[in-house]
Amino acid sequence: MIYDLAHTTIYDYSDVVSLSHHVIRLQPRELPRQRRLQTALEIDPAPGSARAQRDYYGNEMSFITVEVAHKRLQVTATSRIEVLPAPVPEPDRSPAWETVREQLREEEPGTALAAGEFLYDSPHITVGPAFEQYARPSFPAGRPLLAGVLDLTARIHREFKFDPKATTVATPLADVLKHRRGVCQDFAHLEIACLRSLGLAARYVSGYLETDPPPGKPRLAGADASHAWLAVYCPVHGWVDVDPTNNLLPSQRHVTVGWGRDYGDVCPIRGVILGSGAHVLKVAVDVIPSHEPRFPFAA
Amino acid sequence: MNAPTPTQSQSQSTGRPVAPAPPDEGGALPGIFTGYAPRPGGYDELTDQRGGVRPHWRSLVSSLDRLGHEELTLRWDNARRIIREHGVTYNIYGDPQGMDRPWELDMLPLAIQPAEWHAIEAGLAQRARLLNLVLADVYGPQRLLREGHLPPALVQANPGFLRPCHGLPMRGNIHLHFHAADLARAATGQWWVIADRTQAPSGAGYALENRIVLSRILPEEFRDCQVERLASFFRTIRATLRSLAPLNPDNPSVVLLTPGPYNETYFEHDYLARYLGFTLVEGGDLTVRDEKVFIKTLEGLRPVDVILRRVDDNFCDPLELRGDSFLGVAGLVQAVRAGNVTVANALGSGLIEGAAFLPFLPGLCRHLLDEDLKLPSVATWWCGQPKERAYVLEHLDELVIKPAFRSGSQQPLFGARLNAAQRAKLVASIREQPENYVGQERVALSTAPVWGHHHAEPRPLVLRTYATAATADSFSVMPGGLTRISPSAEDPVVSMQSGGGSKDTWVLSEGPVSPVSLLSSRGQPLMSAGPSAAELPSRVADNLFWLGRYVERLEGTLRTLRCIVLRLSGEAGADGSAELTALAQTLVRRQLLPERFLGRVPLKDLEHEILFLIYKPERLDSARQILASVRGIASIVRDRFSFDTWSILNKLNIDGRARPRRIPLAEALAMLNTIILDLSAFSGLEMENMTRGLGWRFLDLGRRLERSMQLARLLRCAFPPGVRPGLLLEPLLEICDSLMTYRRRYFSGVQLGSVLELLVCDPGNPRGFAFQIEALAAHAENLPREAATPGGTAEERRVAGLLLRLRAADVKGLGGPPDGAPDEGLATLLDDFQVELGLLSNQFSHHYFSHTVYRVS
Repeated sequence: MIYDLAHTTIYDYSDVVSLSHHVIRLQPRELPRQRRLQTALEIDPAPGSARAQRDYYGNEMSFITVEVAHKRLQVTATSRIEVLPAPVPEPDRSPAWETVREQLREEEPGTALAAGEFLYDSPHITVGPAFEQYARPSFPAGRPLLAGVLDLTARIHREFKFDPKATTVATPLADVLKHRRGVCQDFAHLEIACLRSLGLAARYVSGYLETDPPPGKPRLAGADASHAWLAVYCPVHGWVDVDPTNNLLPSQRHVTVGWGRDYGDVCPIRGVILGSGAHVLKVAVDVIPSHEPRFPFAA
Repeated sequence: MNAPTPTQSQSQSTGRPVAPAPPDEGGALPGIFTGYAPRPGGYDELTDQRGGVRPHWRSLVSSLDRLGHEELTLRWDNARRIIREHGVTYNIYGDPQGMDRPWELDMLPLAIQPAEWHAIEAGLAQRARLLNLVLADVYGPQRLLREGHLPPALVQANPGFLRPCHGLPMRGNIHLHFHAADLARAATGQWWVIADRTQAPSGAGYALENRIVLSRILPEEFRDCQVERLASFFRTIRATLRSLAPLNPDNPSVVLLTPGPYNETYFEHDYLARYLGFTLVEGGDLTVRDEKVFIKTLEGLRPVDVILRRVDDNFCDPLELRGDSFLGVAGLVQAVRAGNVTVANALGSGLIEGAAFLPFLPGLCRHLLDEDLKLPSVATWWCGQPKERAYVLEHLDELVIKPAFRSGSQQPLFGARLNAAQRAKLVASIREQPENYVGQERVALSTAPVWGHHHAEPRPLVLRTYATAATADSFSVMPGGLTRISPSAEDPVVSMQSGGGSKDTWVLSEGPVSPVSLLSSRGQPLMSAGPSAAELPSRVADNLFWLGRYVERLEGTLRTLRCIVLRLSGEAGADGSAELTALAQTLVRRQLLPERFLGRVPLKDLEHEILFLIYKPERLDSARQILASVRGIASIVRDRFSFDTWSILNKLNIDGRARPRRIPLAEALAMLNTIILDLSAFSGLEMENMTRGLGWRFLDLGRRLERSMQLARLLRCAFPPGVRPGLLLEPLLEICDSLMTYRRRYFSGVQLGSVLELLVCDPGNPRGFAFQIEALAAHAENLPREAATPGGTAEERRVAGLLLRLRAADVKGLGGPPDGAPDEGLATLLDDFQVELGLLSNQFSHHYFSHTVYRVS
């Protein structure tokens, strides 16, 4: 499957901004089953300096500085990405979850080095007994790791309500668990916290999901959004992606931008501006299968 | 995994001990140490087990004894006076003494003999080299993790491991430019490292200040003991940092980045910046453009090559590190990544401060340096390893449980002191996240004599030592250090935050020490050239501007209050009470006194109100509060003033201990006189000694603005339209310090028209309005501006308008006929002046000082 992606972010400032720095992670990384056919980043006004590099996790990251006075900043990332289908894991052939936990903690480096990065607390995810308690019913003794993960994913999908008004980036994870509401980012954080509480390694994945237009209607421009899910480490299968928001195993409809310990490591745009006053933010995302007719982008 | 289990402990040392001097007969304690009795079984620095004075203390002890009690007490008082005068302070959070607590220095140094020091020195240099190599690996190839020399969890679970800092280029391969270690001596005489400080170690500046004070009050002892000097250590720091400038190797610009004046060791930041000749900056003073760091000065951006940071690494860049930090510089990590600036210590170096690393150092040392670790660390078990965890859980009562990684506020827990519930909670926490805990053997501390009131008593001590990189392979150790002592003989906790004191550390030399000193007779560093005038950060200009305003506001307030107090205490002559009524009414109009004083004035009531206006801290407009603001701002910009000027500012004080009502008027009057004189001395030094750079200009700008605003307001409140000025004229001239001039110039009686002429129109009267406005015009014209500003800046245009208005007005006429009431036009004119001056002040602030940063994500 080939997609044309467009992700536009517009900041409208109430006062003139004389200097701004942004770190941008909007360009999908190359992966064994994900090829990048084309990618571009457009900044308006033109940045005084821009540098593309890789972060600690290998994600594409651009550092830009705009040094001219501006009241509006527009960042547009466009990419053409080919995604191949993911192999379907056989949950029952994965090792018992306790075995995996022991392997991750053992003192021989190897397994531990690869996955250990995603085993411990991170700035947005602090584990605790409440998360372990929630996860436990999905992980009875001896259950194969992936069977447990799929069950947990299904439970979160069933027991939590998708509610964009319930949370913000700053909402503590404990509140998400208590109120059982949130968005994709919250559900990904929650499931990661559950798995890490059990001593398993889980990482946060940032990307896009192809959505279907309403039946019989044309696709609306800018109607898509960034998406987030997670991946769990299994010694047999490697990293296995799961999407608790939609209760499915990501395959050809998910485009991966990058991953990290939590949202903070892969935040799409992070910036600091010099100037006073407030700003209004607009975001528009399009994930268009390349066989569909193109239409001019309108934010 | 061949990570070692710690087997060392203080009781069964495996390291090669740093041997103390053998006990010796014949060193009996002299008279002034009578009653000095260290606790049995411990190690005392001064005396051996038999109570004899150790040989290397003997010459010092007998010399002190010759001085005798009385002389020692005198010198101790002298030391404390020097500390107050130098303004040496240490801020303690939540301390009732508030900010600027005086630094506590004991007058007896800690003496260390040469052979013993050589061993410590070699151990410290080795340790710093080792830690530098560990940092270089973890932030680079991570071979130590892959090859099993360090458990990955030690890094991966460590909040000090900053991912954005991985792979940053390091000039000279130096990550750890500056290392500090806390040493404790066990009963066996062995020194142990109990903690490493690798982030932004504090205390070296205090050690230097301790030395300056002590070498002044004990000059002969200092000379005779042949004490190693500290200056060369600081020279190495300076040379190393300057050598690491990536872009301007010939003339590098080095800054010291401070979190600001609320930090507990701000004194030291200022002190070291001056001593080393670096510019002291806060995060807001710096900016990143084109992946390079610049300092924002009033004359534009100046490049920065090296940053010596006293801000914790995670707070140094809100863009890539902690987003909620207001102490850092957005884009700093990228500037380092691009190789354009050196940050010392390297961002991310806090990683190895955690106690969890201690048990691995002997193995790492053999692996990386092919040497045995020379200075042992206190026995530590990291709970991230199963066997060690089991040991800690079994021996909880004997151990101290600490966070494995350094993380702010978490206090160590003494297993033996926990109740059942606390213990169960701790065990559960350890089982849940074992990698976050270590168990550590409890540390025995040696004792040394501390000079209490007229006698010496033994107190536990910890020695903080410092090493700095000359190159990545060679570290220099400060010959001395900061000895910290616990607040009481019983208390085993030693930290400046818990209120203990400090000592100078005398490392004795085998031969004569060259008497070269970097200090002037004042005890002030000679090395510092001071920040150049061109490098005036706009934040500093802002503070100088407000210092000028507050100093002037204070003087105006004090002069007004003194005028009233003089009359209340009957020292002003017969007309006192009638003048008081008029003065009180003026103060009511200025909203300083309640309305009831508009009528007849009960003197006792007025006296109480005036005392409140002087002393009451809850009143924002009280003299005491304004003075507190002056001191607060002055302490932020003290690196801009000479020692003499700072001494005057530092001396300003209104004693607020007594209840205001109880203070006798005579005492209040004397205090007002003293402060008014001190302020005159400050103004005199400002006029005579301060270079006419931008710093002076902003200070004077603030002063002129405030004086003109105060005067317009005072005249407006004193002479409302239609009211005959009566008896107010003389007191007003007195407040404005223009009475003598008036009498010389006008032989007739005092008339409002003539008073206005002198106070408003006369450009030759430095207390008058016209003088201030002309000075403001000169400042506005001479401040930096964007290249093309047709018709001048907005400030210039506004001042020009004010001058025109002033020159066109018939001020003398507005005063009304002789013995009559002032014209309505006077009020209008003065109101307009006040409005215009307020707008002018805002324009200056907006143009030169605004540097607000907002965040988006």
